[in-house]
Amino acid sequence: MTGRSSSPGPQPIDHSGAARPGPMPAVIQVEGISKAYSVPVLSNVSLEVLAGEVHVLMGANGAGKSTLAAIIGGLNTADSGRILRHDRPLRARSRREAQSQGIVMVLQELNLIPTLSVAENLFLDCLPHSLGFVDRKTLHSRARRALARVGLDQLEVATPLGRLGIGQRQLVEIARALERKCELLILDEPTAALSVREVEILFANIRRLQALSVGILYITHRLDELPRIASRVSVLCDGRCVAEYAGGEVAHERLIRDMAGGVVERPSPSTARLAGPMLLSVEGISGGSRREALSLGVRAGEIVGLAGLVGAGRTELLRSIFGADRRQSGTVSVAGGPPIRPGSPRAAVAAGIGMLPEDRRHDGLLLSQSVRVNATLATLSRHSRHGWLDRRSERAAAEGICTRLDVRCAGIEQPVRRLSGGNQQKVVLGRWLDAGCRVLLCDEPTRGVDAAAKATIHARLRAFVADGGAVLLASGELSELRAVCDRVLVMAEGIFVAEFGGEWSDEEVTAAAFTRAFSAEGAGSDRLWEEGKQ
Amino acid sequence: MRRSASGWLWIVGALVLVGGCTKPPQEQPTADGKPAPPPKPAKPRVALVMKSLANEFFGTMAEGAKAHQAAAAGRYDLVVNGMRNETDVSEQVTLIEQMVARKVAAIVIAPADSKAVIPALKRAADAGVLVVNIDNRLDPAVLRETGLEAVFVGPDNREGARKAGEAVARQLSAGDGVALIEGIPTAFNSQQRSLGLEDAAMAAGLVIVDRQSGQWEMEKANAIAAAVLTEHPALKAILCANDSMALGAVAAVSAAGKSGQVLVSGFDNVPAVQPLLADGRLLVTVDQHGDRLAVEGIETALAILNQEKSPADRTTPVDLVEGQAAR
Amino acid sequence: MINKTRLSEWGGLVLVWLAIVALFGLLAEHFLSAATFTTLAGRLPALAVIAAGMTLVVVSGGIDLSVGSVMALCGAVLGLAVTQWKWPLLAAVPLAILTGAAAGLTNGLLTAGLRIPSFLVTLGLLEVCRGLSYAVSGSRTLFIGAGIEPLARPLPFLGVPATVPAALLVVVTAQILLSKTVFGRHLVAIGTNENAVRLAGIDTRRAKVTVFLLSGALAGVAAVFAVARLGSADPNAGTGLELAAIAAVVIGGTSLAGGTGSVIGSLLGVLVIATLEAGLAQLGASEPLKRMVTGGVIIAAVAADGLRRRLSADRD
Repeated sequence: MTGRSSSPGPQPIDHSGAARPGPMPAVIQVEGISKAYSVPVLSNVSLEVLAGEVHVLMGANGAGKSTLAAIIGGLNTADSGRILRHDRPLRARSRREAQSQGIVMVLQELNLIPTLSVAENLFLDCLPHSLGFVDRKTLHSRARRALARVGLDQLEVATPLGRLGIGQRQLVEIARALERKCELLILDEPTAALSVREVEILFANIRRLQALSVGILYITHRLDELPRIASRVSVLCDGRCVAEYAGGEVAHERLIRDMAGGVVERPSPSTARLAGPMLLSVEGISGGSRREALSLGVRAGEIVGLAGLVGAGRTELLRSIFGADRRQSGTVSVAGGPPIRPGSPRAAVAAGIGMLPEDRRHDGLLLSQSVRVNATLATLSRHSRHGWLDRRSERAAAEGICTRLDVRCAGIEQPVRRLSGGNQQKVVLGRWLDAGCRVLLCDEPTRGVDAAAKATIHARLRAFVADGGAVLLASGELSELRAVCDRVLVMAEGIFVAEFGGEWSDEEVTAAAFTRAFSAEGAGSDRLWEEGKQ
Repeated sequence: MRRSASGWLWIVGALVLVGGCTKPPQEQPTADGKPAPPPKPAKPRVALVMKSLANEFFGTMAEGAKAHQAAAAGRYDLVVNGMRNETDVSEQVTLIEQMVARKVAAIVIAPADSKAVIPALKRAADAGVLVVNIDNRLDPAVLRETGLEAVFVGPDNREGARKAGEAVARQLSAGDGVALIEGIPTAFNSQQRSLGLEDAAMAAGLVIVDRQSGQWEMEKANAIAAAVLTEHPALKAILCANDSMALGAVAAVSAAGKSGQVLVSGFDNVPAVQPLLADGRLLVTVDQHGDRLAVEGIETALAILNQEKSPADRTTPVDLVEGQAAR
Repeated sequence: MINKTRLSEWGGLVLVWLAIVALFGLLAEHFLSAATFTTLAGRLPALAVIAAGMTLVVVSGGIDLSVGSVMALCGAVLGLAVTQWKWPLLAAVPLAILTGAAAGLTNGLLTAGLRIPSFLVTLGLLEVCRGLSYAVSGSRTLFIGAGIEPLARPLPFLGVPATVPAALLVVVTAQILLSKTVFGRHLVAIGTNENAVRLAGIDTRRAKVTVFLLSGALAGVAAVFAVARLGSADPNAGTGLELAAIAAVVIGGTSLAGGTGSVIGSLLGVLVIATLEAGLAQLGASEPLKRMVTGGVIIAAVAADGLRRRLSADRD
């Protein structure tokens, strides 16, 4: 980026003349790319990114967005079609080769090394050195400059990366990308794990890069981001480019229909529900870093939302109810039953509780195993006799889950690793629904999930409570809480600060999450977002 | 990641503990005001450095030495050390250095390797420690080169192996095929035993059709013997460099259904082969009186220390032990 | 988990084995004879049952480095029971297997209970059991002889000793355990992502303790087989055996990272290693050559397997 900022201006000269539309030249042109594994993933996709534009790529998970990005970024190769860069075919066989061509890709799965410092991660492939020793002074000053560029000026560059929250890591990854020669920046769901303030910083950076004539290919699921940054929106569905819109002001309904290939499942309206008897009772639970004890109850037929800033303690609360982490005190019981042994997910499951963890890849799924193995993991006792697996019953259960939750896969023997995020989440949800649990704890159940799958998951959760279940759902998206929850508990710094039922506005909830923080610390909101992440 | 980090902590912790425990105790602590201890203690301290004490031959040797010291406790102190792994030369070098640090008067050593330990022994000799070599003879060429003078007390392995080979040859006729199962090829006694067996085979006109290393181990020798029996159907005898390997060879001969047709010889005369000698499945073995070997070495060291004797090599007896079938 | 991929994997290993047999058949005069294969059959059982236990442990994401020492300890206990205490075989053999199970249980409890990596726990037990083996036997080879040899004598009609069908039974049972039972499924799942399994409400500790217990008990069974064949118990037996077993398991297509593997594959891996050993010995190869060839074949087999995996991963 040092190179870039010193010579920001001239973009590659357009040798071919006036063949291209628009005032700016294209930094990349994709022509008729196809790619198939066992099924076609991309069929004849064409698009271009102009210098200085943000080209947003939308699509349901599994539509082929990430594959397309990987092909452009040199991580994958196309079966047919070509990529033109300055009118010459681009042949990048690795991420490194693409990078040398000015194409920089920030990956969805961050590839940073947790044990090294932030500074070392930033310059891993070009550590400044003299006589073979790392020149720490130069390294750190360069790192500080790079971090300042993405608004992380408060971050100590010698901090091991592993201590950073996921949002900060993402910014470090972007800062690293910006340090390289960059004419095309590919961002794959960059805001999925960012806080509001971090998103602002990211968008400011994107705008600055635009001004420097960098072309940006931006993959996202968040419809609300479009008006703010998109110069152009393309929609992929089942590997085909089905629509392209100029500008970011596109009706959401329309985009969702494009992405879903025409069909959208809507959650049943959240009016006129009658709450049943108390199903989940949590009394005076505390542990970990939280000092104050929490109590709450969820009735049958009810979805209770947990709102709050990042780090307000929502995940901690869910995990300690489930027994994933040890707790110091308090009891949890289901339907007035005996208290569940703390620290034992097995006891929680036996009592009828299931959990959709925040990090489903790490805590929920066996990625290399099949859909069948994953779907029946919690119910093997039902699919076996005296310890012997009953293949037929297991297969039937897995197929039932795939049908009921509309899991898009090549069959129940496909490894879940090959499924899109939304379909993976459906498998985890299906596992618990099939296990016949009565209480579901959902932590960010639709993070990184496309709009269509999100609607399916929400509809299934509503159906679950309509059948007499209870759900406790933590989410950072107020729109999600509004869509499915009967009431919302707002958390801040590990305790409940407000409760909303019926009608509520975004402003009210946000204010509640902040008010407590203000009164407790008497500090500015900026600082609170920072602390929230740690 | 985190777990493996804590794993390393465990290892480091354990090493620190072990290191703390095995640090040799401080010799003669000089308390303030006390006169310095006499430079040479009245009772000499002799270090016996063995190969693996897990090997029963050396175990027997060490027990013989301990019994001898207990009976003559007034004359000397004894420190017995063995290695974990019979072939780990560097471990034995470390032992030698530790013994020098403990200021022993003499080191009586059964070398793990006939060459590699010589530099360490030379340093010991330079520090004023008497070196007596038992069991496995140090390489004369390297001894000359380094200028180390080490008295050798031990059996003539070549002679012993020759006796065993001759006993086998008496049962066979010229032109018969035999196989050798050797010890670890780098060990001097293994080489000597192979030479002795060859001498005998040559003299009797036997043909050595195959020779491989069984690494002194029963299991490995068994696998080799089985293979050799298959590949050479006319084989008449298997000559082994120790009794462990002979046990493995006997099992292979039985499994091949050739008991009585293929003769087996061993070396060391350990208790486990006694039943085989009795029922004829093992023809002969050689007794080099291991229990006496260390004692002879210690006696030699004491005699030289007390200047009763001038340094001279001494050969201890090797006797043929014949089984039922040889008689 | 017996599917088409597995079958092709096993087929590939059988081809590798046949190639090795053919090669030695050309090089050594009497390699292609009944005696070679009877010898192989005698030698396989001990390593095969150890590799079976190792496979289960490795599939669950662990490793058991103590098997060789545990085998020596069990052999020493067996020898002591028969020669010193004059126990009948019917009592001494179960005692040996129980000894192995106890060692395995210790491995399992330490690994699962204290959450120490199995690599370190079993490395410790490797030393402890070797020491116990020396202590029990007084560092002496114990000759048993006629008392136990019948076990290793070829059975009428079959032409192989009873240890062979016994080992095959163990291997097949272990394979069934792995692919057809809830316990096996739990092992695969734990080896893939232990955290996710725990959060699915499954007791991962019980499965882990059980798998180490099995591995220890099978080392005891292997000790019985080895002692029967040699007619004596060697306290030095099984040195480096853990590495041979791991090599066989890896050649057999089990991933050291856990989560996938097959016991039948490991049996084929054992077959490859044992055949190589027998062939090189029949050729009268020198010690350096033997070691280099064996090492080369292990690397080649694993590399070929990695290549095949990448190709099949590209396909789906």
